[in-house]
Amino acid sequence: METNCRILNRIVEINISNVKYADIELSGNTCFVGTNNFGKTSLQRAILFFYSANSRGLGISASQKPFEEHYFRYENSYLIYEIATEDKAFFVMVYRHNKLVFRFVDAPYNPDFFFTANDEAMKIKEIIGNLEKRGIYISNQIDTFERYRNIIYGTETDKQLSKFHLLKGNEKYQNIPKSITNVFLSSKSSVDSRFIKDFIANSLTTESSSIKLEQVERQLRQFNEKYSDIETYLKKESQQLIELIDKKYDQVHMLKGAQMEMADKLGSSLRFAETQNESIREASKKKEEELDVLTAEHETLKENIESKQNDIREEIGYYDRTIRDANKKLKAYKEQNVEEALEKNQEREKLQVELNIARREYESLTSNVASIEMKYSTLIEQLRNDKSAYINKINSRTSEIFNHYNELQLLQKNEYNKRDAELKQKRDESLGEVNSEVTAKQIEFNELKSEEKVIRTTRFYEQEIKDLESELAELRAVSYKNKSERAIKQNMVQTLQREWEALELKLKSSLSNRVNQTNNEIIKLKNEIKDIEGKLNVQHDAFYGFLEKNVKNWHNTIGKVVNEKLLFRTDITPEMKQETADTLYGISLNLETVEVVSKSIEEYQFEKNERLAAIRDLEEALNGFQTANNEEKMLAADKFGKQLGEMKEDVKVLTYSLELADKREHKLGSELEEWRHKAGVEVEQSLTGNRQRLNIIEEELTLLNKKKNNLLADFDNQFNKLKVYNDERLAELKERQETEISELEVEKKNQVKDYENKEDELSKEKDTNFKSKGVDAKQLKGVENRMKEIQEALKEIEQYAQIVSDYLKDKREIFDKMPDFIQKKEEFVKSNNDLTTQVEEATRKFNTKRMDLNKQKRAFDEELIDFNNGINFYSNNFRETPVYTKYSDIIERAEAKRTNYNIMDLCTQLLKNDSHFNEEYGAFQRYVNEFAGKFKIDNHFNFIIRNDASQGEYERFAQNLRSFINENKIELSIAETATQIGLVTDSIATKVKELSGQKDKIQHIITLIAEDFKKAEFEESKLIEFIKIRLEESDNKVYKLLKRIQEFREENGLVYNEGLFNTDFATGQKREISGRAVKLLDQLSSAIKEQEQEEIRLQDLFELKFNIKEGMNETGWTHKIDSIGSTGTDILVKAIIYITLLHVFIKESSHRSSKDFKVHCIIDEVGQISAHYLRELLRFAKNRNIMMINGLPNKSGLESHYKYTYQFRREENNNVRIFPSIVTEVEA
Amino acid sequence: MLAEDFNLPKQTHDIFGIMARGNFISSNGSKDGMNRLYDIVNNPDNFDRLQAYFNVIRYNIERGNNFFYFSKLHEPNSELEKKLERFERYIDIIDLLASMDNKITIGSRFRPSEIAEECNANVRLKQKLQKIPLYRSETLHNKVREICDLMSRDSFLEMEDEKTESYKVLDSYAYLLDVINSVAIYEDTGGNTDDAQGLIYN
Repeated sequence: METNCRILNRIVEINISNVKYADIELSGNTCFVGTNNFGKTSLQRAILFFYSANSRGLGISASQKPFEEHYFRYENSYLIYEIATEDKAFFVMVYRHNKLVFRFVDAPYNPDFFFTANDEAMKIKEIIGNLEKRGIYISNQIDTFERYRNIIYGTETDKQLSKFHLLKGNEKYQNIPKSITNVFLSSKSSVDSRFIKDFIANSLTTESSSIKLEQVERQLRQFNEKYSDIETYLKKESQQLIELIDKKYDQVHMLKGAQMEMADKLGSSLRFAETQNESIREASKKKEEELDVLTAEHETLKENIESKQNDIREEIGYYDRTIRDANKKLKAYKEQNVEEALEKNQEREKLQVELNIARREYESLTSNVASIEMKYSTLIEQLRNDKSAYINKINSRTSEIFNHYNELQLLQKNEYNKRDAELKQKRDESLGEVNSEVTAKQIEFNELKSEEKVIRTTRFYEQEIKDLESELAELRAVSYKNKSERAIKQNMVQTLQREWEALELKLKSSLSNRVNQTNNEIIKLKNEIKDIEGKLNVQHDAFYGFLEKNVKNWHNTIGKVVNEKLLFRTDITPEMKQETADTLYGISLNLETVEVVSKSIEEYQFEKNERLAAIRDLEEALNGFQTANNEEKMLAADKFGKQLGEMKEDVKVLTYSLELADKREHKLGSELEEWRHKAGVEVEQSLTGNRQRLNIIEEELTLLNKKKNNLLADFDNQFNKLKVYNDERLAELKERQETEISELEVEKKNQVKDYENKEDELSKEKDTNFKSKGVDAKQLKGVENRMKEIQEALKEIEQYAQIVSDYLKDKREIFDKMPDFIQKKEEFVKSNNDLTTQVEEATRKFNTKRMDLNKQKRAFDEELIDFNNGINFYSNNFRETPVYTKYSDIIERAEAKRTNYNIMDLCTQLLKNDSHFNEEYGAFQRYVNEFAGKFKIDNHFNFIIRNDASQGEYERFAQNLRSFINENKIELSIAETATQIGLVTDSIATKVKELSGQKDKIQHIITLIAEDFKKAEFEESKLIEFIKIRLEESDNKVYKLLKRIQEFREENGLVYNEGLFNTDFATGQKREISGRAVKLLDQLSSAIKEQEQEEIRLQDLFELKFNIKEGMNETGWTHKIDSIGSTGTDILVKAIIYITLLHVFIKESSHRSSKDFKVHCIIDEVGQISAHYLRELLRFAKNRNIMMINGLPNKSGLESHYKYTYQFRREENNNVRIFPSIVTEVEA
Repeated sequence: MLAEDFNLPKQTHDIFGIMARGNFISSNGSKDGMNRLYDIVNNPDNFDRLQAYFNVIRYNIERGNNFFYFSKLHEPNSELEKKLERFERYIDIIDLLASMDNKITIGSRFRPSEIAEECNANVRLKQKLQKIPLYRSETLHNKVREICDLMSRDSFLEMEDEKTESYKVLDSYAYLLDVINSVAIYEDTGGNTDDAQGLIYN
């Protein structure tokens, strides 16, 4: 056992897998011999676990049991690793406490610690107790692999544990376990430069340092999808569709609103009709009854008045007749010279007295001649008597004739009167008929006239017009309010928009400033880096390099006085002169207190890294700023967009309601106009009807008057004829009477003359006698004449006595009362007129009221008919249609309310509108489908509509689209996408840069490997002449594109994507840059898809080529090195390369001070290598402080080259026993 | 004259490959970057170049509403007849699709199963579907599938999601509608046969 260095000295397996106990020493080259499946590899894995402490990186396939379960089957399963140190060995034990845990024990391994007296492995508690009892330090449980590795590789800070290290690793110590693992895992693979690449890369990188293409692809896909969505959205056709959708949505919305309103009205009307039907019927009946009552009242009143009028008319007729008769009598009296008769009658008494005087005088005169007188008087008297008898006879005959003719005349008169009366009656009848007809017509005419007056004063559809007017007024008030509200909102929208724009401008300019500022700073830093890099590049050939190579501690001497620029000059050819060492041109200086001004390479590197970090910080800060800026932008968009959206929506709603109001106003206006027109028409119609009837009646009246006149003329004619006939007849009778009477008068006259002649003869005889007797005959004659005259006068008076008497009687009874009669008649006429007026007034009132009632009744009836028709129409033609189903809720829930529309119209309109609505909705759906179809089904705007989407979903789509526009979400999306492209390129650039940054390390490692190959003493054995290795540029397409993106990013700074989708000429250049970025990303996306690679790792960044010469065979620069020679050669070369790699990595990853340690290189299956080669290999490894652990299928003599050889045997109970084989080490 | 002389877009080959098969390039197609191809053809500069180029090989690019297709210059009558025959089968298909409750229009997304279900529930539609000749599938679903397949092949539809078997109606569907709308059906009143009907393609 070697004790002068640290090494994994021993591995002990207690109840591990199917090995009960094995104690294997490992302090030198070790070889395991055993056939396959005996547990060689398992043991090697257990050794590897010591170095890697990573149960998942042991090459156990997924189909096999995990390390923990396969190895640690029992609670007393232990793996013990003993590590030899410079002084005393310690060991670490691994056991399972749910998971694998470690404990370090500060003592060499002793089986007694673990086994009881019965050789039974103890439980961990017992072991700990046992160790503690013995006073041996045992560490706390180490729970994590990481901590274990820290301890083993000497980076643990806990002082108690820090001593348990195998070696002192530096920050890169992880490369050691990685390298050992990689060697073990790749030992079976063919030797390919790609594998070596992987080896180097895997050793240098962690799992996370690769570029996960899936992630990049996802980012690219997300970006591409967003980009393509935005592109689709911004297309002209899409914008047109948006407009169409917006417009159609409004229309559809409006139509739907109108339909719903109409459905509500229909429901209201139906409910109203249902509830009001009975009451309207009642109301109509009531009106009819009222009408009947009114008519009856009017008739009664009319009858009363007419009966009064009849009485009055009789009175008037009576007085009229009386007056007329009186006038007639008066006229007749006048014709009979009643006045003269009266005058004469007044003289009658006087004449009587005068007659008596004359008689007495005559008697006194004749008293002497009485006998003569007597004789002659008797003769005369006799003669006179004869004459009187004759006269009387003639008179009686005259009178007889007179009477006869008078009688005839009377008969004629009676006949005339009778016929006249008949005619009059006939005329009166006819006239009465005509007059009654005229009166009826006149009444009707008057009625019509009053009706016309009523019509003129009636306001038809007053209620409707009033309702409409008030509705219009309300609507206008609301519209006015809405208009002002809209104006306010529009102003607010403008203000908000301006505010938003100002804020955006501010953000944009601040971002732009920040970008410029950062870019400037970055440029400055880059220049500085370039400067440093320049220095670093030239330092080998410059004065600096010279000093590094030739002057020890030159920083403390020359470094304090030399100019930095001078240090990096390559043209000053420095040379060492011993004489002037430690002097400045021969002058010695004490520089102890002088500050060093020169910098070491590390310092330059540090400075460069610092600047790189500064750039990264700046970029990160800028990224942060940009993100913050974007967030602010988004916040603003969210804030303003939402507000604006709401405002715009309000404005739209207001505009919509104004439009509706406008339409409604228009509609109401036209309705009002219609009602007015209807009212006018109604008046006109009524008036026209009235007028027509009036005209007809007027004509009829004219005709009747004409008829009446004709009738009167006819009757007058008849009367005239009758009168003429009567007059003629009377004249004839009178003439005959007069003729006969005159004939008698002539006869009488002649006879009387005879009598008078005889009397004269007698008188003369008397007078002669008297004279003879002495009597004055002359005086006597005078008295006699006087008496005769008076008698004559009296006789004449007596003739008028009857008339006078009659007149006086009439005068007393009639003529004197005439003024009273006239007065009374006038009074009656006036009363009659009053009554007529009263009747007319009553009739007018009655007509008005009747008309009103009729109208009301008609309105009720019409409404009832309307309702019934409407309900019937609704039931028969509407109830079963889909339109009903669509609006059934609204219709059924509507409140009973009177509307201005009838049910039938509403149903028809709803049906008609629905077909229009369906057409419009179809177009709306088509537009939505077409628009949504333009986008992918999973577009980030969520513009998606199912084929069987409901109307609500379509409407929500349009609403969302509207909000999208109002809130200007496209801008947000563009900003997000622009940020995303920035982030994607930035993330790619960062990753590529990070990964490329490791290329230097690769280069470094490759240089070291190449040097190590050089150092190898191949020449001694002449087996391998040389192994050369070199790096070449990668030809990975994806990486190349990634690199281009990184370069693009470097070139253009942060891809500030203002230009994305921007068509502004001013930002054209930015657009071009963005365009290039998009194109590059697109290419990358395609390349990733094409290449089907999961990630870009460090090994994809370069190509590694080998050139190996073995004997006469030179491979030339190639990727593969499996065709160098025999399999043995290949294994040898592979092993040499692995050992070299391991050596390099160990050297690189361990602390410089830590040199006294050895590690193992585990390579399974080296059976095909020749002994010669094996020896060579072991020596090669030994020179690099590496111990080999190899596997051999069987004993072949090769095992003799190893210090330890263990054999594997499977026992009957399937357990494997590992035991040392006794061989002699030939050479190690 | 070489293709390079025309300064053609690099997708010319793809464009030709699609349209020369008698298919359409629709703006709302997303498979195989169809929308990109549409944008390329739709670019006025490209369009003129492509038109000039294809005219040389006796093809003419025809522009529809958001889609492009080829027509042949001086096409023989026999070809035209074939085309007409090809459209004849679409009359019943379009009739069926237009009679659905949820009308299939440009941009609509649907699954054959939805159509089959609707057809199954509606005798009228079922008869229409069964009436469609050319297909021998036993179930309605398969028949609809075949129709969709045919329409996809003729680039009127696009299968968006194979898993859900979801199709999208492309802009080129308008071409079908246009052609079928321009078909006038006349009745031969002068002839002796009662059912003499014919088609006139305007």
